[in-house]
Amino acid sequence: MSLRERFERHRKNHRLILGGLAALLLVFTPLFYLSQRGRDLPAALVANRVLLFVLWYVNVILILVVAFVLLRNLIKLLVERRHRILGSTFKFKLVATYVGLSLIPVLVLFFIATELLQGSIDRWFSTPLAPVLERGNAVAQAFYDRVEGTALRDASRALEEVQGFDLEQAGERPRLARRMRELLAELDLDLLVVYEGDELVNAVLDPRSGIPDLPEPGRDFLEEAAREGRAVRMDTPAGAPGRLVLAAVARPGAPVIVVAGTLLDPGVARQTDQLVRDFQAYRQIEAQKDDLRASHVLLFLMVTLLILLGSSWAGLYLAKRVTVPIQALAEGTRAISGGDLRHRVDVEADDELGVLVESFNRMTEELASSKEALERSNRELVEAQRLAAWNEAARRIAHEIKNPLTPIRLAAERLLHKRRQGDPGLGQAIEDAVEIIIREVVTLQGMVDEFSRYARMPRPRPAPVDLAQLVGDTLSLYRDLKPGVEVEGQVEDGASPALLDAEQVRRALINLLDNAVEATEAPGRVLVTARRNLQNGAHLEIRVADTGRGIPPDSREKLFLPYYSTKGRGTGLGLAIVHRIVTDHHGSIRVEDNVPRGTVFTLELPAV
Amino acid sequence: MRAAFALLGLLLLASEVRGAEISDLQATLDGNRVLASFTLSGGLDGRLAQRIDSGLPTSILFEIELHKDRKRWYDNRLDRSTLEVVAVHDAVARTYSVHLKLDGELIESRTVRDREALAAAMTRIERTPVFTLGRRTPRGRLLVKVRAELGARTILSFIPAAIHTDWADSNKLRWLPP
Repeated sequence: MSLRERFERHRKNHRLILGGLAALLLVFTPLFYLSQRGRDLPAALVANRVLLFVLWYVNVILILVVAFVLLRNLIKLLVERRHRILGSTFKFKLVATYVGLSLIPVLVLFFIATELLQGSIDRWFSTPLAPVLERGNAVAQAFYDRVEGTALRDASRALEEVQGFDLEQAGERPRLARRMRELLAELDLDLLVVYEGDELVNAVLDPRSGIPDLPEPGRDFLEEAAREGRAVRMDTPAGAPGRLVLAAVARPGAPVIVVAGTLLDPGVARQTDQLVRDFQAYRQIEAQKDDLRASHVLLFLMVTLLILLGSSWAGLYLAKRVTVPIQALAEGTRAISGGDLRHRVDVEADDELGVLVESFNRMTEELASSKEALERSNRELVEAQRLAAWNEAARRIAHEIKNPLTPIRLAAERLLHKRRQGDPGLGQAIEDAVEIIIREVVTLQGMVDEFSRYARMPRPRPAPVDLAQLVGDTLSLYRDLKPGVEVEGQVEDGASPALLDAEQVRRALINLLDNAVEATEAPGRVLVTARRNLQNGAHLEIRVADTGRGIPPDSREKLFLPYYSTKGRGTGLGLAIVHRIVTDHHGSIRVEDNVPRGTVFTLELPAV
Repeated sequence: MRAAFALLGLLLLASEVRGAEISDLQATLDGNRVLASFTLSGGLDGRLAQRIDSGLPTSILFEIELHKDRKRWYDNRLDRSTLEVVAVHDAVARTYSVHLKLDGELIESRTVRDREALAAAMTRIERTPVFTLGRRTPRGRLLVKVRAELGARTILSFIPAAIHTDWADSNKLRWLPP
């Protein structure tokens, strides 16, 4: 990753974090303001039904979001664990720790705070304030009842007086007016009005009362009095110094309605009204107690869920920042152990994990370059060995060819000598020389055939083979070949049938047995075993072990090269042919020391 | 999962108020207007009465629906309106103001002085025009359905749930567009 890309990614991450913090700030600022101003807000607003439902649905959405975030990550972690993805267990533990560390305290805090709140609300309404307000309200109501009762009684008294007047006669009206003024004074009223139906007949006011104008009692009020026989109202007329109690009375069937009005003492009225209003305010809060409690609990729940969401997200983010590089490192380790030295960990981390990732990548680069250098050295070494082997082969071929050529040259020189001397034994000499020449040419021919065979060895043609029979037939060639050297075979039942080229395997066994028998002095033993090995992938294992002189360690590396021999004679192709046959069967061969003495050749062939 | 079902059941149970029902639902046609009369029985319980006496504006919301009278049909509703009865108590004046609002518009206000009159004003609806039929209203038999929403209560101290009665069906009306 280039420096620019890293910088861009850093900037994006920082932007994301800043955005998240700004969002949290935006949410928490109004919440903080609400919590600060909550006591100043009217209870009706706090316990508003719409607010309750809004809060509830916001909480439901938050619960769903938190549940989604947690469940999604939990399921993802469980799936990763089930699929045994590298680092999933560590990630699971880390995420569980982070989320658990935030989840448990926040939930505990929420439950404690809720309990405290509920207890507090219950205590508010169990204080002595309630009975005090109730008694105050009862006193106020009794006062109103008394005032209303007095007004009704005065109105009834006036009605009795008014009924003595014939309102149809115009001459009666001045007399009625006078009597009404007298009654106003006698009954200590501030207002007295007589209606006939809804028509005003006469009205008198106490000029000391301060009522500027005749108050309008309203059609409903008069109708109620006519219908029910009585009606009471409390009103505050415009310009009046206080509350006015109006009482209207009428006789059933009669059209006359008398309204008596008494102005309450402003101070008493104000105090009484305040008592009633205070009691009502108290009852309003009490009536909204459950809603108030619910709104506070919902606010708590909302804050809890927001914190939970923030902390879970932060926990998951931090866990991811730790686990992703570690997971990538683990995957990198696995890739490198699998031989992929080009693998690089491409994870952004700017802390110690970043150093670790960088070190890992540097180490991988060094490993790759070391491996490349090693391979180059190996190639050079193999080339050198091959060159040395060819030199040795050339030397040996020259030597092998030279051996038969010397007898041929000597035989020819002898014949020439006898011919020049006129030796009578020339005929016998010719016969002897020809015999030698033919023998040596046959030797040369055999040598050439052997080389040709190695060079043109056919591809194996596998077929089911009874390995026990193959080994038995081959061993029968060596029994009693060398006195004191036992040649034995042990083939497990499960080893047959095997899919092999029987002729080539027989050839390989013969070459190995040739060497083994030759290297073993009496008393000694050559043992051939065959079994099916089910470990490390099923394969067929054939071992040829002898108790001979063994092979020096420095010769083992070149043992399977063509034309290499430790015997100082022969073509040096025996083990090379064995190696070729095993390789052509997609198998392997190795040589080890036999304990306590001798050598073991082990052939591993795929068991199809 | 069981807890979730239990909570859901609790919510459903809690949203219905016991004993409250719409009765005597009568629908009549006055020209192209549908008039509804009905009574809410058992709706004005102690909780509502306490709330009204505290002076808080307290409402009963009647949800009224006009349906076509067709059985085994999934969507019979033609129109919908709300009739809200709001009561406000003035403890100083010792009166109750009752306001009637149709789809949020004030159509009637009155003042009563005692609880009996208040209960009657809040729970008895008399020949109130609730729908106006038009040319697009399909001809045939119509039906008025009413249910009352009596505020909200909280479950488990914090889950708000609206309280309402069951739906009541009116008599059938025969509508022939002019």
